[in-house]
Amino acid sequence: MPELFEIIKELCAADGTSGDERAVTKLILSMLPDDCEANVDALGNIIVFKKGEKTPKNKVMLAAHQDEVGFTVTYITDDGLLKLSAVGGINHEVAVGRQLHFSNGTVGVIGGKAVHQQSEEERGKPVKLDSLTMDIGASSKAEAEKYVSLGDCAYFESNYTELGNGYLREKALDDRVGCAIMIDMLNKPLPYDVTCVFTVQEEIGTRGAKTAAYTVHPDYAIVLETTTACDFSGNDGEKRVCQLGDGCVISYMDRGTIYDRELYRLGFDLANKSDIPCQTKTLVAGGNDSGAIHTSVGGIRTVALSVPCRYLHSPSCTIKKSDAESTAKLAYEMYLALCEKS
Amino acid sequence: MTMNINEMLYTLCSVDGVSGDERSASQAALEMLRRFTDDCYIDNFGSVIGHIAKSGKKPKLLLDAHIDRVGLIVSYIDDAGFIKVGAVGGPDRRVLAAQSVTIHGKEKIKGTVSVLPPHVKGGDSAVKIEDMVIDTGFTKQQLSKIVELGDMITFDCEPTALIGTRYCAGALDDRCGVASILCALEMMSGKELAFDIDVSFTVQEETGERGAKIAAYDLDPDYVLEMDVSFAKTPDSDRAKCADMSKGVMIGIAPSLSRELSERLICLAKENDIPYQLEVMGGETGTNADTISVNKSGAKACTLSIPLKFMHTPAEIIDTEDVMSTARLIAEFAMKGGADNA
Repeated sequence: MPELFEIIKELCAADGTSGDERAVTKLILSMLPDDCEANVDALGNIIVFKKGEKTPKNKVMLAAHQDEVGFTVTYITDDGLLKLSAVGGINHEVAVGRQLHFSNGTVGVIGGKAVHQQSEEERGKPVKLDSLTMDIGASSKAEAEKYVSLGDCAYFESNYTELGNGYLREKALDDRVGCAIMIDMLNKPLPYDVTCVFTVQEEIGTRGAKTAAYTVHPDYAIVLETTTACDFSGNDGEKRVCQLGDGCVISYMDRGTIYDRELYRLGFDLANKSDIPCQTKTLVAGGNDSGAIHTSVGGIRTVALSVPCRYLHSPSCTIKKSDAESTAKLAYEMYLALCEKS
Repeated sequence: MTMNINEMLYTLCSVDGVSGDERSASQAALEMLRRFTDDCYIDNFGSVIGHIAKSGKKPKLLLDAHIDRVGLIVSYIDDAGFIKVGAVGGPDRRVLAAQSVTIHGKEKIKGTVSVLPPHVKGGDSAVKIEDMVIDTGFTKQQLSKIVELGDMITFDCEPTALIGTRYCAGALDDRCGVASILCALEMMSGKELAFDIDVSFTVQEETGERGAKIAAYDLDPDYVLEMDVSFAKTPDSDRAKCADMSKGVMIGIAPSLSRELSERLICLAKENDIPYQLEVMGGETGTNADTISVNKSGAKACTLSIPLKFMHTPAEIIDTEDVMSTARLIAEFAMKGGADNA
């Protein structure tokens, strides 16, 4: 099995917006070892069970989401231009003015009138998708329809780039990094039985996690994610949220979850014991599959371990590789501890 | 051997050449121009000059397009290693968030224009260029060895052929104008010409038509055709201020242009079934034609514009058929001349 970052590279290159994760699902299934039992549920979640050397005291589930943010075609104009709608929460200014692609290779650009023709007021406002269209080169509706249909999804360009001191930039790191950590783990011999779920539709309301948690019904859940970091110049103090290079982020609260206090502390204890860099966030914001999981089937004790990520939901998601490694290590320690927890 | 327009655009748009440091772009264009004349060079200011036909007996026609592109310039490296920038020309700041850029330092390095997520940023205004920082992942100490103040920054965009005959790249403004001249030279190659012909690919148009001022002084033309880009219609733009993409070369009519020349070009387009549109401007044209026409004792100038979408963004779009209709009209005029000089 390739190393963690090879897996990340391969996963990010695949296209899968919420609701159409099929290409990613197929790729993940191909990366699982033979000793795993994998099922794809009605929504598209992959539920993987791997037998370990021993049966654990507690049933532990790891979760990461397959889907990424993108765009879907809602209308084709008579001139062959496409109107799009965002799938998931995208700040439109990170998508306009650059190439996006469809899974069949068709490339287009979303844009509008030139900066020269914008009023002073317009120039100062962030771009919005409503008034803009995508040009794929077609000059009529009929020509456009040969390449693109309503409901097709447009994606940020994949371009795996190593930056500076061990940074990594690519689309869809949210949350293929979490998926890669689970794939990496499943490809190694494990001391205890484990269930890993690769969820769908996280970006439009943590929908896949609801059914996956119900089906698996674990005692404990570990959610592997990426989380917003704003640790670049211009932001001070708590506005930086978390820091690339300072390790795995253990959350105490976000918009969907107030995390189990005991597991939150356990995370820091385990990290300290094994010398794994870790930190927490200084802003209560965002949310992830934990929100759906911790209220499922009568309540599931849940911890979220995240890789800090700059420019989330853009073509330029940026992580530090050492943080992904720290998160993978802490996820493994957490899995061991929760399996054995009395 | 005929030049393939897509290959030409790929070569011309793959090189940097932000206003003020056009060396690589000028060199690439000079190599292409060498196919038509040995008498070509880069002038003191950086512009490419070529003498195509030089009898000394015919009126002098200058074919000009600008070689520079808009971009950013490194103005400061802060203690955390982030780069502050200034605008070179007028890039559309609303589409730069999370944009991948190349910094042309001692070596080329990649960076990302930082952007805050909406829940942290708040407010409803587009980030100003002076408030942007570029994230390279290097420390200040490391960066200082590679990047100096004054280094240029380009927006990354892989030049790509769209479906049909449209083409997407950065710097199509005005590398497609350069391409139209090269295509025209090929069309008129070996033909009887009505003029002595000079070609200039001038620098620093985006910062105030400075290269054209110098080239015009040296070349002292009687007639000027200025090949630049102009606004192609998008659904959100003012129909009256835009041309249609794919409907042919835009012949300029403006108080600052020569009315006889505009009329002659319209007549030639009609006679030769060259698709064309009129671009009527109320004063000056905002192109090098304004500067060249008032050189020394003056020259008769007209603009031939190529409709372009998303001007001054990282991913501009043109139709290569519009480049070809521009080239055909240049060639017809060069061969047949005008009513007053034939």
